[in-house]
Amino acid sequence: MRQSIQVILCLALFCSGIRAQDCAYTLTGSISDADTRSPLDRAVIRIRETGAVSLSDEEGHYHFYGLCRGIYNVVISHVNCDSVVLRVRITDNLVRNVVLPHRVNQLQEVLVRTTREQHPVTVREELDRREIAEARVQRLGEMLSRISGVTVLQTGNSVFKPVIHGLHSQRVLILNNGVRQEGQQWGAEHAPEMDPFISDRFIVLKGAGALKYGSDAIGGAILAEPKALPSDQRFHANLHTGFSTNNRQYVVHAMAEQHLVHAPAWSWRAHVTHRRSGNVRTPDYWQHNTGAGELNFSAAVGYRKPTFRSDIFFSAFQTRIGIFSGSHIGNLTDLQQTILSPRPLLNIDAFTYDIDRPYQQVGHYLIRSRSVWTLPEGSRLNLQVAQQFNLRQEYDRAMITDRPELDLSLNTTTADLGWEQDPGRPRHVQAGIGMMRQENAWSGSRFFIPNYVLLNPYAYTIGRSVKGPWTAEAGFRFDHRNLTSYRNRSGALSSQALTFSNISGSGGITRKMGSDLKLSGNAAWAWRAPHVNELYVNGLHHGTATFEIGDSLLKQERALNLSVQLAWDDDSLWDADLTLYSNLIRDFINLVPVTPATLTLRGAYPTFRFKQTDARLSGADYRLSRVLSERWTAMVKGSFLFARDVGRNDWLSQMPPHRVEAQITWKIPGERFRDTYLSPSVQHVFRQRLVPDPNNDYLAPPPAYTLVHLNFGTTFKFSGMESSLNIGVHNLLNTRYRDYMNRFRYFTDEMGRNITLQWRVGL
Amino acid sequence: MKRHIIVLCVLSLVAGFVSCKKASDPNDENEHEAINKITLSFSGAGTTATFTIEDPDGDGGNPPTRIDTIRLKAGQTYTSAIGFKNLSGGTERDLTAGIAAQGKAHEVFYLPTGVTLTISKTDKDANGYPLGLNASWVVGTAGTGSLTLKLMHKSGIKGPNDAPTLGHSDVQIMVPVRITN
Repeated sequence: MRQSIQVILCLALFCSGIRAQDCAYTLTGSISDADTRSPLDRAVIRIRETGAVSLSDEEGHYHFYGLCRGIYNVVISHVNCDSVVLRVRITDNLVRNVVLPHRVNQLQEVLVRTTREQHPVTVREELDRREIAEARVQRLGEMLSRISGVTVLQTGNSVFKPVIHGLHSQRVLILNNGVRQEGQQWGAEHAPEMDPFISDRFIVLKGAGALKYGSDAIGGAILAEPKALPSDQRFHANLHTGFSTNNRQYVVHAMAEQHLVHAPAWSWRAHVTHRRSGNVRTPDYWQHNTGAGELNFSAAVGYRKPTFRSDIFFSAFQTRIGIFSGSHIGNLTDLQQTILSPRPLLNIDAFTYDIDRPYQQVGHYLIRSRSVWTLPEGSRLNLQVAQQFNLRQEYDRAMITDRPELDLSLNTTTADLGWEQDPGRPRHVQAGIGMMRQENAWSGSRFFIPNYVLLNPYAYTIGRSVKGPWTAEAGFRFDHRNLTSYRNRSGALSSQALTFSNISGSGGITRKMGSDLKLSGNAAWAWRAPHVNELYVNGLHHGTATFEIGDSLLKQERALNLSVQLAWDDDSLWDADLTLYSNLIRDFINLVPVTPATLTLRGAYPTFRFKQTDARLSGADYRLSRVLSERWTAMVKGSFLFARDVGRNDWLSQMPPHRVEAQITWKIPGERFRDTYLSPSVQHVFRQRLVPDPNNDYLAPPPAYTLVHLNFGTTFKFSGMESSLNIGVHNLLNTRYRDYMNRFRYFTDEMGRNITLQWRVGL
Repeated sequence: MKRHIIVLCVLSLVAGFVSCKKASDPNDENEHEAINKITLSFSGAGTTATFTIEDPDGDGGNPPTRIDTIRLKAGQTYTSAIGFKNLSGGTERDLTAGIAAQGKAHEVFYLPTGVTLTISKTDKDANGYPLGLNASWVVGTAGTGSLTLKLMHKSGIKGPNDAPTLGHSDVQIMVPVRITN
C-alpha cells in the first residue's frame, strides 16, 4: 500500500530529491511557554537526523551550527511540557522560535494540546496556520470545508453549515470556546452563530467519538478554541482588515489583550469584528438582496493562581443576512417557472449593500465561567457554567406589518463538573457530570416549531492507557433527555412530554509503527433523540416552496460508527493521511416527499414528512503531500461518500458528491518578505449520481465542475510591527456553476470570481 | 479557597439569569397575518352578489373548507371588488387596505378558462400601473369553467404589463364559474 502510494505520487508529482550543498548553516531560536509566554530554560532540542543536542539557556535560546542544506526533524522536550516535533527545512540560516504547550499551567482541555508525540485515537483533523490565515475573513462553515471530509450545506452565499461525512445540523456538535453552541441549528438555512475571529484553532473530530461533549453528535464535532490569555506582563493588540471584490465585503477585526503587571493574577482580552457585504455577483448577473452585515464583541477576564484558575467570557454575535429575493417564491407553480428560466425571474441586476425583505436577523449571546482547581498529584477539577441566548427573527416579506413572520428565542443553561488525572500519566482517567436546560419560545405570525423545555442531565467517564507503541482509549456516557413541548391551537392549550435515555460508548486503539506510520481504529456507539422540529414541525419553507410535517412518534436514532485512520509522516518528504469510515444509523430521521401536495389559498405545495429508515454512510478521505524541492510542495486531497438508504435499498438524497483537489505551493525566499508563497489549486466536484430512483427532486443534480483558485501570502515588518498580507482568488476563471449542496441551486448560479485581500498587523 | 467559591457562586448567578419569554405560555399557532378568506363582490345586472373562499385553519391542516361557485348571467356587465381577509380566533381582519397601500408591490390577476369573460382592471397603483382590486367583467355566452385568482407579490420589479407569472404568489386558487342565461 505504502509503496504503491509512493509510486503513484512519484509519477504524478515528479520525483525530486533534496541535494545537500553547503554545510555552514545555523538554526537558532528561543523556546517559550505557551501559557505564560515566558522563556523556558533547560529545554532539550535534539535533531533526530544528526543526533545533535542543544540545551536552551535562561533566555530560552538554543543554537545549532554547521548544518547542511536539507530537511530536519527537531524534537523539543521540556520537563514541564509536552514534546513537540518540528520539521524545518534548512536552505539558509534559520531562526525558529517555538512555543511549548505547558502541561501543568494549561487552561485548555486535554484535546487541545498540540503535540505530534501524542496519539489521539479519535479521527481528527485540524486547520493549519496557513489555512486559517487564508480563510480568516470567511465564515466558519466555509473555513472548515478546507478539511477533507468536511463540506458545506449552503443557502446562497452567506449561510454555510458544516457537513461532516454527509451529516449536519443536529448531528454535528460545535464547541465554541468549550461551550456547546446551542442555536436553532435544526434549520438547514441556519448557520452557526459564532465569530471565527475569536478562535485560534479549529479541530474537526470525524465520527461519533466526542463523548465528552454530547452523545447526539453522530456525525462529528467541531472545536473552535481561542488561545490562552496572555501571561507575559505585556499588552498586545492586532488589527485585521479584509476586502473582497465580488460582493464588496469589508471586514475589520481588532483584538487587544493584556496581562496586568501590578496584579499578575489577572489578564484580559477583547475582540470586536465588523463585517458588511453587498450583493453577490455570479459570472453573469448580480443576485439581489444577498448582502449581509455582522457586528460581534467579546471579552474575557482571567484570574490565575498556581492551584486555581478561573475565567469569565462574554460574547455577542449579531448578524443580518439578506435572502436572495429570487429564491423567495410563492408556490409550486412559481418554483417550476423559476427552474425553467435560465436567469432568476425575481431579480434586480444591480449592486447594493441594502438588505430588504426577506432577511434573517440573528443574535447570539454567551456568558461563561470556567474554573480549574489543580489538586495534589496533578489531577484537576473543572467547573463550567454557561448561559446562551439565541434570538432569531426571520422576515419573509412585508405583507401587512413590519414584524418578523418567525421569531424564536432560545435560552440554554449548561453546567459541567469534570475531574481528570494528570494528562501526562500513561494511564489517565477523566469523569464528569453535567446538566443542560433549554427553553425555546416562539412568537411572530407563522408557526414552525412549538415551544419546548428540554432537560438533559448526563455523566461520562473516559480512560486512556499508553503502553509502548500502543494507545487505547475507552469511554462511556449516559444521557437522559426530557422534552416537554407546549402548543396552542386556536386557544386550546396542550403539552406533551417525551423521555429518552441511553448509554453511548466509544473505544479506540492506536499503534505507532516506527516513527513514520500511525494506524488507529475507532468504534463508537451513539444515539440522538429526535429534535423538536422533527417531531412537531408543521409549516412552510419559503425558500424551497415545501411544506414540512413532523411525526411525534419518532424514535431515537442509533449510530454505530467505525473508522480507521492511517497517518504517515516520514518527516521529510511525505505526509499522508487516509481515513476510511462507515456510519451505520438505525432509524435515521430523514425528510421524504409524500403525496398529496398541501393545498392552500397560496397554491399547492409539495409536502415532506420526517420518516425513519436505516442508513449506511461509508466513505474515504485522503490527503497526501510531498516536498518536491526547497521551493516546491505538492498536495492532493479528496473525499468520497456513499450514502445508502438501507431500509429502502436506495441512495439517500442531499448528500455531498465526491470531490478532489490538487494544490502546488511555490515558496519565494526573501529577507524583507518572509514566509512568502504563491499557491494555485484546482478543485473538482463530481456530479452527484448517487440519488434516489425515482428522484423526487425538482431539478436533477447539477453537472460536475472544476474551479481554479490562487493564494498568496507573505509576512513583513510594518513600522516595526509584525504584519502579514494574504491575497486569495476564488474561482479565478469566473466559471459558471451550481453546487448540489446549495439550497439555492434551483434559483441561481454560484458566486463568480472573488479576490480577497487581507492585511493583519500586530503589536 | 472559600473566597474562590464565593467568586464562583456570584459568577454562576450572573450566568444563570432567566429570559422573560416563557415556553409554557405558547402563542396561538394560527397564522395571524395570512390571507385565509377571500370575498369577490359583484354588482351589475341589477343585483349584487358575494362569493367566498375560506381556509380557516390556514396553510396545511385541512384544505380550504369553502369555495363558492361564481355564478354570473350571460351577456351582462359587472363591476367587482375583491377582499382579502384573515380569520383567526373567531375574529376577521380585512387586509385589503394594506395590500392597496402596498399597491406598487402587488397585482391581482383573473385568469378564466372554459368560459368567455373579458376582465379589465379598473384601479391603478401609485405608479399608475394596474392593481386589480377592482375590475369590470363583460360576460360572454352560457357555460361552465373556472377562474384562477392570483395575487402576485413583486416588490421592486412591477411593471405596467406584467405576465401573471412574475413575482411570487401570495394567493393562487382556482374557483369554479357557471354562466347561465
